[in-house]
Amino acid sequence: MSTADDTTASTTTDGQAAPEAPAPGPGATRSRITPRNAIRPALIVALLAFVLLAFPSIFSLYYIDAWTQVAIYSIVTLGLGVLVGRVGMVSLGQGAVLAMGAWVAARLLFATGLPFPIVLLAAGVITMALGTLVGLPALRMSGLYLALITLMLAGAITVALSNINFPNGGSGFTGYNGASVHIPPIRRPSVATTDPAFFRYSVVVAILMFLLVLFHIRGRPGRAWAAIRQSESAALAAGINTTFYKLWAFALASFVTGVAGALVAGSFRYLNSLTFATQDSITLLAVVLMGGAYSMSGAIVAAFLLKFLQALLNDWSVSPDWLTILFGIGVLQVLTTAPRGIVEQLPKDLARLGRLVRGLFTRTAPAGGQAE
Amino acid sequence: MKATGTPIKIGTIDTKQPGTDFSDGPNMINAYFACVNANGGVNGHPLKLFVEYDQTQPAQIAAAAKQLIQSDHGVGIVGVFDLLACTIDQNYWKGLGIYEMGAGIAPECWSTPNSAAVNMGPRYSSDGAVQYGISQKPDKIVFVQSNVPGTGYIAAGPAALAKASGLPITERTENVPINDANSVALDLVNKAGSNGWVVLNFTPPEALVILQAAQKLGLEDRVKGWGCSTPCNTDFLAKTLGPKWNHKLFVNAELTSPDDHNGPEMQLYKAILAKYGSSVAGGLGSFSEMGYLLGKFSTQALETVKGAYTIKSVNAAFKAIKDQKTELLCQPWVYGNYPLHIPNNADFTTTPDNGKMVTAQNCFNVSSADPQIAQYRKAAGTAPSTNPPTG
Amino acid sequence: MPSWTDVEQFLVTGLSLGGVYALSGVGMVVLYRATGVLNLAFGAVGAMGALIAWQLINHAGFGFWPAFAVSVLFGGVITLAYGMVFGPALAMRDPLVKATATLGLTLVLLGVMDLLWPSSGGASRALTVPTDNNTFQVGQISVTYTNVIALALGLVVTVITGLFLRFTKLGTAMRAMANDREITATLGVPVRRVTAAAWFGCGCLSGVAGVLLADLVALDSTTLTFLVISTLAATLIGRLRSIPITFVAALVIGLVSSELTPISSVSNYRDMTPFVLAAIALLVLNRRRVISVGRQGV
Repeated sequence: MSTADDTTASTTTDGQAAPEAPAPGPGATRSRITPRNAIRPALIVALLAFVLLAFPSIFSLYYIDAWTQVAIYSIVTLGLGVLVGRVGMVSLGQGAVLAMGAWVAARLLFATGLPFPIVLLAAGVITMALGTLVGLPALRMSGLYLALITLMLAGAITVALSNINFPNGGSGFTGYNGASVHIPPIRRPSVATTDPAFFRYSVVVAILMFLLVLFHIRGRPGRAWAAIRQSESAALAAGINTTFYKLWAFALASFVTGVAGALVAGSFRYLNSLTFATQDSITLLAVVLMGGAYSMSGAIVAAFLLKFLQALLNDWSVSPDWLTILFGIGVLQVLTTAPRGIVEQLPKDLARLGRLVRGLFTRTAPAGGQAE
Repeated sequence: MKATGTPIKIGTIDTKQPGTDFSDGPNMINAYFACVNANGGVNGHPLKLFVEYDQTQPAQIAAAAKQLIQSDHGVGIVGVFDLLACTIDQNYWKGLGIYEMGAGIAPECWSTPNSAAVNMGPRYSSDGAVQYGISQKPDKIVFVQSNVPGTGYIAAGPAALAKASGLPITERTENVPINDANSVALDLVNKAGSNGWVVLNFTPPEALVILQAAQKLGLEDRVKGWGCSTPCNTDFLAKTLGPKWNHKLFVNAELTSPDDHNGPEMQLYKAILAKYGSSVAGGLGSFSEMGYLLGKFSTQALETVKGAYTIKSVNAAFKAIKDQKTELLCQPWVYGNYPLHIPNNADFTTTPDNGKMVTAQNCFNVSSADPQIAQYRKAAGTAPSTNPPTG
Repeated sequence: MPSWTDVEQFLVTGLSLGGVYALSGVGMVVLYRATGVLNLAFGAVGAMGALIAWQLINHAGFGFWPAFAVSVLFGGVITLAYGMVFGPALAMRDPLVKATATLGLTLVLLGVMDLLWPSSGGASRALTVPTDNNTFQVGQISVTYTNVIALALGLVVTVITGLFLRFTKLGTAMRAMANDREITATLGVPVRRVTAAAWFGCGCLSGVAGVLLADLVALDSTTLTFLVISTLAATLIGRLRSIPITFVAALVIGLVSSELTPISSVSNYRDMTPFVLAAIALLVLNRRRVISVGRQGV
């Protein structure tokens, strides 16, 4: 999914152009249809078909759950990737936005008999409204302030949700009954009650969200974001309503994260405040940076790191602490040497390794061992 | 003689995440099973424990249960030490006819037909702590607990006990981790008044910060007394708090203390831990005691199975467990065919005494004023008799 | 309405909580002003220092003060090491990137702490500062000297660093460098040495804060690490620049939060105090600023 849209996205999170990148002006993100681009979508479709059809028979239920989480969290990392990679805004509160989406969806699923897709949409829209409302003051700031204020908001929302609690089939506005001894599970879509079916359902929803984001990136908002990321003052001078487009990005990220929250509700089936911690927002940012915030495939890598690796290590009885350490090292590595994440860095590293190996065999001068 | 037959596969789910690590429980069950296997196994079959760890993610816990049965082909579930598993997996157990036993936190561990716990859990242990407080004739109870899901269920027990004795009770919750223990301690003392009794239901670190704050502010004598549910029952707490709390703090204890008891069974537990329990990081303590009990109950039940070890035969044997006398509990343990299971409903009270927790009150029955306890005793027959451990 | 005695009592506990926030808040602002890096790992470094002190006291027979010294030294060394390795690589980047990178250090330390000091079997730890045993009476409640020290230390650090940054040569160099490294270097300031001094000094401060906070709050890696989030509110109100405003804001946050404790309808929401106050402060402070261009807050 990382086609033409990636080629122009070579800035760092600073909003300053990376030295090696040509500075494209607004409008340069317009998609170009070339024969090369016709092959990749075909490959992607084939891959997705394989995932949807074959995964449930290849993997055990434990790993199907892990893949379901990868699909769901790839939507969350996609949203955060839009903010970080496209607009240059760092949000440290996406975990809290996800929790809001899950809350809204759980409430609707307990209170109403609405079809699941409607609930998905409603959770997205309500989370978008809440997210933008809460984020509005933050948007007036930039850089470090924005990141810190979103971290504050994540802290506040975590406290609020641990007091309001997640709906568990109770009555009243909050739908929470603290005295319940038989908590009912949250409803799943009628077409996806089993785990493999819910996996397919989540993948399909994720594909739709990726397409929605792709549509935005290729369109007018994408061009405005690219301009804002390059230089906010230049964008302003060029007549771009920067606050409006930043708000738009925030709304889009909140919408897809809200939809992901609804999938979380359906997938988890029981929600409680222990499941959502403030530090999740930090971990989310870490994996998005590692995966690469500048490409859409980076979102999938990020979700894979976050959820599949966790399931794998857990299955091997390796302490989850190693994952925390890995994420920490990853953040430092990405920020200092590979600002575009593993997706971009790994092929380069492999190529470098290849050159090194070739160099060993041909006994020429040491080839490309040093850092870029 | 080592057991060499086909293994009997048992599964378990265990919370293991930064800050909350219950893995000492399953590790001790493994130690017990290792001992059984080294001594011929169960009817010649070795026991094999499959452990799934979780990080309090509901989807993961649901998948873990299915993995244990469908992929690992477990025939029974023993030793679920988990924050959420009882809630999430109970319908799955029910559907398969599995009778799970473990140690939990969630209300469903004590309120469903398919789960039985060796621990008392937060509600009944808080009941015990409040009951001791009531016996000291205060004029008010203040019950405070960590603000986690299900607080209403837990608070209902102490509220029922206070109501039965005609005492006013104030309930409150505190967000954890506690950043401002000073304010919390001050507020509790102010709410209780000079003749009130404060009862805490927290994990040891959180209970400790509140009690320490009270001590630093000089508040420990501003109320009649302090109580705490079973997590406070560690020598660590007694040592850290110091002598000011001797016979001032009264802790409900759900298991026999390995420090001041040394009967034959306690010696066996210590011997198994020493020989096979190298992976039990915490050593002697409530987690390994519970692991020992679960290992023992399941092994003895498995020995009664005639013929093949299937989900059906194994769980019928688990369900039939009754009158399991043990030195580690105040009363014989029973599973049985009941709509709810609170088999551990008699316990001790301990108090700090110069750096150690000592018994302040021997085995007593938790009051039937708690409607859940009353319902269980009605279902399970007469109120079980207590048999104070010897040694 | 709560009575005056109630208000008075919670005033005392509020000051002690405010002292906790002030200590770490001031520490973060000092490093930010001196190096241009908002060190979000401040809490994690302090927590690890405190855990090392605990280890030395309980398993190596150390007395409190030697263990305390080791923990302070650990804070200084680890922060210095981080600053020397990653400082130059990130020197030209936005403050946001520098701050994000310290989250990497936070995660690494958090993982290491949980591996080395696990919580299995319900294990818990505590660290007590000897000054806990000396108390004096304020109204009906007693106050330990540890509380006083925390508050005084916050104040002392505020005053001394304020004077230091303003009046000493090294301080001026630090301020200049945080503004623009290149130009400062061309003016003949030994950039590496000055940065090293700033990192080391602030690292030591995080070690001191870590031990005090372990006593005042709890000796728990996660709690101490994420205490930073509440603390950040005070630094934000001080706009990451003003050490005195940060100090005062921290005290106000502590007081408000504490006074809300006995009011049962809002008591459980009082942990939101730092965030709410920071949001209000930023809204008011920024009401005329629609966008901000270029580097922030240096």
